[in-house]
Amino acid sequence: MKTSKKEKLSLFKKMLTVRAFEQKAGDLFKQNLIPGFIHLSIGEEASSIGTCSVLRTDDYVASTHRGHGHMLGKGADPRMMFAELFGKATGYCKGKGGSMHIADFSVGILGANGVVGGGFPIMIGAGLSIKLRKTDQVGVVFFGDGAANRGTFHEACNMAAILKLPIIFVCENNLYASTTPSEYTLAGGSVAGRAAGYGIPGHTIDGNDILEVRNVVGKAVARARKGKGPTIVENMTYRYRGHFEGDPQKYRSTDEIDTHRKTSDPIERFKKHLQKEGILTTELEEKIKKDVTKLIDEAVQFGQDAPLPRPEDALEDLFVNP
Amino acid sequence: MIEITIPKLGLTMESAKLARWEFSSGDAVKKGETILVIETDKVSFDMPAPSDGIIHPIVPEGTTCAVEEIVGYLAENREEYERIIEEHPFAEAEGTEKVEASQAGAVSQAGQPAAVLSSSPGPKGRIKASPLARSMAATNNLDLSAIVGSGPGGRIVRADILRVLEEAPAIAGERVERPPEEISKGIAIKEISESIPIQGVRRIIFDNMYQSLSQSAQLSLHTEACAERLIALLERFSRDEGKVSFNAILVKISAMALRLHPKINASVEGDNIRVWRQVHIGVAMEANDALIVPVVRNPDLKTIREIDYEILELIQKTRENKLSPDDLANGTFTISNLGFADIDFFTPIIRPPESAILGVGRITKKPSVRNDHVIPEARIGLSLTFDHRIIDGAPGARFLKTIKEMVEEPLLMIS
Amino acid sequence: MSNREISCSTALREALEEEMERDDTIFIIGEDLVAHGGIFGQFEGLPERFPGRVIDSPISETCIVGSGVGAALTGMRPVVDMHFADFVTTGMDEIANQMAKIRYMFGGQAKIPMVLWAPDGGGLSAAAQHSQSLESWFVHIPGLKVIAPSEPSDVKGLIKAAIRDDDPVIFFQHKRLFAQTGHVPEDEYIIPIGSAAVKRPGKDITILTYSRMTYLCLEAAEQLAKEEIDVEIVDLRTLKPLDFALIAESVKKTYNVLIVHEACLTGGFGAEIAARIGEELFDYLDAPVMRIGAKDVPIPFSPVMEGFVLPKVSDVVEGVKKVLNR
Repeated sequence: MKTSKKEKLSLFKKMLTVRAFEQKAGDLFKQNLIPGFIHLSIGEEASSIGTCSVLRTDDYVASTHRGHGHMLGKGADPRMMFAELFGKATGYCKGKGGSMHIADFSVGILGANGVVGGGFPIMIGAGLSIKLRKTDQVGVVFFGDGAANRGTFHEACNMAAILKLPIIFVCENNLYASTTPSEYTLAGGSVAGRAAGYGIPGHTIDGNDILEVRNVVGKAVARARKGKGPTIVENMTYRYRGHFEGDPQKYRSTDEIDTHRKTSDPIERFKKHLQKEGILTTELEEKIKKDVTKLIDEAVQFGQDAPLPRPEDALEDLFVNP
Repeated sequence: MIEITIPKLGLTMESAKLARWEFSSGDAVKKGETILVIETDKVSFDMPAPSDGIIHPIVPEGTTCAVEEIVGYLAENREEYERIIEEHPFAEAEGTEKVEASQAGAVSQAGQPAAVLSSSPGPKGRIKASPLARSMAATNNLDLSAIVGSGPGGRIVRADILRVLEEAPAIAGERVERPPEEISKGIAIKEISESIPIQGVRRIIFDNMYQSLSQSAQLSLHTEACAERLIALLERFSRDEGKVSFNAILVKISAMALRLHPKINASVEGDNIRVWRQVHIGVAMEANDALIVPVVRNPDLKTIREIDYEILELIQKTRENKLSPDDLANGTFTISNLGFADIDFFTPIIRPPESAILGVGRITKKPSVRNDHVIPEARIGLSLTFDHRIIDGAPGARFLKTIKEMVEEPLLMIS
Repeated sequence: MSNREISCSTALREALEEEMERDDTIFIIGEDLVAHGGIFGQFEGLPERFPGRVIDSPISETCIVGSGVGAALTGMRPVVDMHFADFVTTGMDEIANQMAKIRYMFGGQAKIPMVLWAPDGGGLSAAAQHSQSLESWFVHIPGLKVIAPSEPSDVKGLIKAAIRDDDPVIFFQHKRLFAQTGHVPEDEYIIPIGSAAVKRPGKDITILTYSRMTYLCLEAAEQLAKEEIDVEIVDLRTLKPLDFALIAESVKKTYNVLIVHEACLTGGFGAEIAARIGEELFDYLDAPVMRIGAKDVPIPFSPVMEGFVLPKVSDVVEGVKKVLNR
C-alpha cells in the first residue's frame, strides 16, 4: 500500500485529532459535563485511523462502544459528535444515542453498538445488500477481543464466508475485555487464528503500526472488492484508559500501562517514522498540534452552545409512518 | 389515624343528622371519595374522605350528632385499622365486624392499605353496580340504593336499570293504559305506581312543615291591594337600567314594613320572645322538585336593584345546586309568591323559627269601585300567616295593612 | 369479482410474488427456503421466479435477522423468514436491540423497512419449543409494528402493506392456518396496517380476537346464536398499532367484552387491551372485561394435554356466558 507524504501527514493529524478528542472527552466527563458512560480509545489510534483510511466514503463501518476513533477516521464531524455526547438536539442522533449509539450514515457509519458483538449481524446484512445490488462497496466491522467469543462473531464469519460477502472483520485486540484478559478468555489465543476454521484468511498484525494496518487491511479491502470474500484482521493494540471512564482498573498494573505507552505508542512511533523520513519538522508538528487543539476546542464549544432537546422530542423518530 | 367528625357547615350550625355511610367498616377509600352523607335542617352534604385509608364508622345512620362529634375513623393501613376496631367498636349492637380478605383480594403488606371485603356488609354497605349501570342511573336520576341487582354478587347491571325505567310511572301528561275491565269493575283497585323514599331534602321539608304547624298557633289574614303603582314602578325601573323582579320590590316593602312593626321580626326561644335586630328575608323557590328558601340579607339597608341582583344570584345558585348553608341561614321573615299559578290568596306555613310569612298572589285586572264608579284596576292578593302565640290579630293586621299601603303607594317605603 | 378461494399459504406467496415483481430491492432470507419454497411451502415457486432473491441461510438466527437489519439500513427491503416464531429468542438481540431501536437511537438518520415473518401457534403436537404465540413480547418493545392476521385475504393485504411500510414489522402467521382457505379478491389491494375488522356483527357482546382464534370464536358464535346470544367478533389483525377506535365503537354498542387469544393468559396481549378498555371505556362496561388464553404452561406434546392447554370453542362459549352472567 503506497502512502504519499501528504497522506502521511494527514494520517498523523488524524491520529492526533482522535487522541485530542478522547482526552478532551475524558476531561469533560470528569467535570460531569457528559452524562452516562464513555469508553475511550486512547492508544488505539493506528487501528481506527489506519483502517478507515483505506476505505471509501461509500464503504460501510459497524462500530463499537469504543468508537469515537472509527467515527473520526471515517469522516465524522467532531462538532456534532460533541453535541451528541452532551445530549444536545443538534448532535448526530439528536441526543437520542449518546456515545454508545453514535452514528453518521452520511459517511457510511451504520452506528456504534452498545451490545458487544452486535455489529456482526448488521454487517452481514450490509454485505448481503452490497452483493444483491451488485456494487463494489465493502464493509468493515470493528470488534474487540471480547466480542470474538460471542456467537454472533462465529455465525457472521461462517455466513460471510459461505456467501463470500465483502466484509473485513477488524479486531482491535487490546488484550482486555472489560476486566478479563484475553489470555484467559480467548481459546486458541488468537482471533485471526479462528479464520482458518471458516476457510477465510486471517492476519494478526502490530495494530499500533499505522502503515502496517493500512497495508494489511488495504489488501483485505481489495480482496473483498473483487468479490473474493471476507478476511479477519487482528490489530494487536492497547488502551491506556479503563474499559470505561471511571474504571478502577484493578485488573492490570500501572506498570504495564506505562510500558506499553513508552514502547508502543502508535502516535509516537509514527512520529519517529515521519521525522526519520524528513516529513515532520518541529514547526510542522507544532502547527498540526495547534490546528488540532483549535479544531477540538471549537468542536466542544459547538457542543456546549448547541440547544438541548425539548423533553417531548423523546417521542419522535420512532417510526417513519407513525 | 384520622378522626372523622361532623363538620361545621354554617355559622349557626350545631348539629346534623348522620344520614348515610357510603362505605362499611374495613373498606378502602380514596381521598376525595364521598364517605358520609349528613343532613342539616337546611341542606344535605356529601362529606369527602380527607385522605386515602381504611374506614371504620362508629356511629350508626340516623343518629343526630353534634358538630365536631367523632363519628368514625380513617386508618392509614391495615395494622392501624385492626387496632382501631378493637378500641372503638361500632356503636350499635352489630359490634366489631370481622373482616376477611376475599379470595381475589390483594394481600396487604406493611404500610399498604389492602382492599378487603367485609363478610357482613354493615349498615348500607357500598352499592355494587357496573359502570354502565351507574352512568345510566345518574342520567335518569335513579337512586341505586333502591334497585335490586341481578348481576353476579347482587351487582346492579344495565338490565336492572332498564327494568326500573320501564316500571317507572309515565311522564306527567301521559296516560297510563288501563285495561277497560278494570275501569268498569266496581272495585277500587289500588296498586303502587311508584315508591319514593322520604329522604334528603324531602325529609327536611316533611319534618319542618309538620313541626311548624304543630308547635305554633298559626292564622292567616288576607287582603287585596291596588297594584297600579307597583306596576308603574316596575315599568320605571325597566326604563332605567333594566327590569327588576316583582319579588325584589316586595322584599323591600316587607323589610321596610318590618322596621315599622319590629315585633313581627321575632322568634320564640324557650320562654322568651326574641325580637331580632337585623332583617333577613327568605324568598321561597322551587328547585329539583323541592322547596328551598334562600335568604336575602339586610334588604332594609339595600336598594331594590341590589336586592334584585341578590335574588338573581340566589336563583342561579339554586339552579346549579351551589347553595351553601349560609345562604339558607338566619332568615327572620319569608315571602312566598304563588302568583304564577293564578293563586289569589292562600295560607302559607310559617318557617320556624320565624313568626310570620307573606303569601303573594297574582296581579290581575279586576273591577274595583272608585268614587262610586266601577273601573278595571290591577289588583294583587296578599296573605299573611303569623304566630298568634306572640303576635295578636290586631298587630298582625296592622302589619299587613302597612304592606298593603306600601304596595299601593311605594313612596311610603321611604317615609 | 370472482369467487376464488385460496389458502393463506397461497395468498402469502401471491403477495410476495406481486411485491417482488414491482420492487427489486425486496429479497427473502431464511432457513430451508430454496429447495421446497420453505418448510411450509409458503414460498413455492419464488426461488425459481426470482433467482438469487430467495436466499438460504445457515442456522444463524442472529445473522438472519441481522441480514434484514443491515440490508434494510443500506437500501433494501428484506423479508426475513424466522422458520418458527419460537426461534425469535435466538435472534432476540437483533430484533429487540437493533431492529426496533436503530432508527430511534440514531435520531432518525436511518429507516429499517424490513418484515420479520414468523409462523407461530400450536395444535400440531409440535410441543413446547415449536408451538408458542409470542406476540405480546413484541407489542411491548417500542419501535416495532406487530401484525397477526387470520384469513387469507387479510394475509395477502397485510403482508403487502408490511413490505411497503418503511418501518420494521413482525408478521405472525399461524401454522394451522396455512391450509385455511378463504375468499381473496383478484385485483390488487392493500389492507392498511392498524385496521381491525368486524368479522361477525352482533349486539350482545364484543369478542376481540386475532389469528387462529378468530375461527374458534366464529364457531363459538354459531353455537351461542342457538341460545339467542348475538356475538360481535372483532378481528384485530394488527396488534400494534391497535385499532382502538373500532374496538370502542363495538364496546359502546354491546357493553360487554371478551378477549380471546391463543397465547398464555398471564401477561398476554389481552391484558393490555383489557387495561385500556378499563381506562377509556369504563362507563360503557356492564361487566368486567374477561380474557381467554392458553393455560400458563409450556405447550405439552400429547394431543390430549395440548387440547386441554390451548383455548377451545367451549372455553369461548363459557367465557361469553360468564361475562353476560347467563
